[in-house]
Amino acid sequence: MTIALQIDSLFKRFGKQPVLNGFSLQVARGDVVGLLGPNGCGKSTVLNIICQLLRADAGQVELMGQPMIEQSAHARARIGYCAQESALYPDLFPQENIQFFARLYGVPAEQRKARVSELMERFSLMPYAATRAGLLSGGWQQRLSLAVALVHRPELLVLDEPTVAVDVEARMDLWRLIEGLRDSGTTILLTSHHLAEAERLCNRVALMRNGKVVAEGSVPELISRVPGQAVVKVQSEDHQAVIQRAFDLDWPVRQHAGKISLLLPKKLSLREIVDALDGSKVSALSIEPVTLEDAYLELVGDNSTDSN
Amino acid sequence: MNKISPYGLLLDQTLAVCARLLLEQWRQRRGLIFWAVFPAAMMMLFGLVYAHNASMRAGLDAAAAGILMGAALFFSCLGGTVSIIAAERERQTLRRLLASPLHPAAYFLGVVLAQMVLAAVQVLMLYSIAWFIGARYHGSLLLGGLILLLSVFAYVGMGFFLGARFARRSEEVVVALSAIGVPLLVLGGTFFPLEIMPTAMQTVAQLNPMLHMNQAFKGVAAYNLGLAELRFEIIFLCVFCAVSLALGLKSYRYLLVADQKI
Repeated sequence: MTIALQIDSLFKRFGKQPVLNGFSLQVARGDVVGLLGPNGCGKSTVLNIICQLLRADAGQVELMGQPMIEQSAHARARIGYCAQESALYPDLFPQENIQFFARLYGVPAEQRKARVSELMERFSLMPYAATRAGLLSGGWQQRLSLAVALVHRPELLVLDEPTVAVDVEARMDLWRLIEGLRDSGTTILLTSHHLAEAERLCNRVALMRNGKVVAEGSVPELISRVPGQAVVKVQSEDHQAVIQRAFDLDWPVRQHAGKISLLLPKKLSLREIVDALDGSKVSALSIEPVTLEDAYLELVGDNSTDSN
Repeated sequence: MNKISPYGLLLDQTLAVCARLLLEQWRQRRGLIFWAVFPAAMMMLFGLVYAHNASMRAGLDAAAAGILMGAALFFSCLGGTVSIIAAERERQTLRRLLASPLHPAAYFLGVVLAQMVLAAVQVLMLYSIAWFIGARYHGSLLLGGLILLLSVFAYVGMGFFLGARFARRSEEVVVALSAIGVPLLVLGGTFFPLEIMPTAMQTVAQLNPMLHMNQAFKGVAAYNLGLAELRFEIIFLCVFCAVSLALGLKSYRYLLVADQKI
């Protein structure tokens, strides 16, 4: 396995507020790694440090085995960056936006035209070649933004919540594009608030809390760290009775946003579950597979979660 | 992929920034029209006043030079640069630029080059009107051109500084220009001759690059002064251009710090 990105013990504070507390991560070449965590946990700070938009107080970042020297244009030229805002020039046409950044990244003049055309084709932007970027819809702007980030064939593509500002349909489109990049071997580090996005796009996921990684692995690996084979979501007039019953059965209980979930230590049929919870005033229940969301709540936790 | 030499890349980045800014200006023609109307209207008004007062007629040549430096270039080169920085911030393109290998000097020089093209258009337009109403350019075109280049460079440097420090949003552009730029215009002798200012103001004004731009360009355009007579102003402007470049590069790096977010 070739390591594309190696981050060791990053520390960063803004004033007195510590944001990164020894953040470390490895990204293998060709992997798509998702950084997940609550707001303010330091996800964007990590990306900003990688993209040289911020200076770390301590720690090291290596890209393809070479230390990233701060403020080095060479280091910046190896990374493609796409933020949640499309960050385009609204009065320029799509191909002019791509062309402008191709020149900034030093794409040789004889290759530029072909590269711009290739990206316009690949991202289906040709029908919008005569439309100013500012007049494109949010989804198409983000598509163009992704094309701009790839113009210099970066060794690492950094996506900061790339689908946060687009509608569902545009999000699905962007997912397909990112899947295409993944399948063609592009190394990607992305942050997201959509667990489904990470589940669908990422080979590996790093869960962050308080400025460091608290768990990291493939989606199945993270799911396997949840102490349950399935999740039973329960509706009841008497939460306390359900919790007491689950405690008696030795089933872990998770409460999130006022709802109760029970983690089944082994696979049981609906009949067996109903029988086991008999007498605890359950009005409705559903059995669901353990998902990344359960792993996230288990490993990162949140303010509304109490575990037994 | 990068097979361009470092100097070639710097040149190409500079030209790319310049071409982009000019293309954007061309597509936002309304802004260009306002920048053209303002100095043209000033020149017309001055022309009417001087035509009405025949004894003051000799001052029209100096007034044309003053309007070019104090009104046209001040708003287009200094105000325009502040607007460019504010727009890059608002559109978030600044972060994209800062994450790219764009050299700060290439960005600065690209803005200078674009402003020089716009300034050249303004000079042609303003002096066409000035000629029509009777004002004349008397001095060396080469020396006048050099002073204009130095002035544009200095204005862009100041614009970078003001934009980076004081204009986070486009609404703040006018505030930054009014609060800092206009007092500099007054101290630059744009509205009153230096001689009628109190001594302390005259001393402070000597530090103001706008004063030296005004004096140097008026000297060439209205009084046909040469390099020897204007050497102090030219040297001052050259030194200020070096300071301006340093200010511009520092401001570009400052943007990196100022726009940090978690």
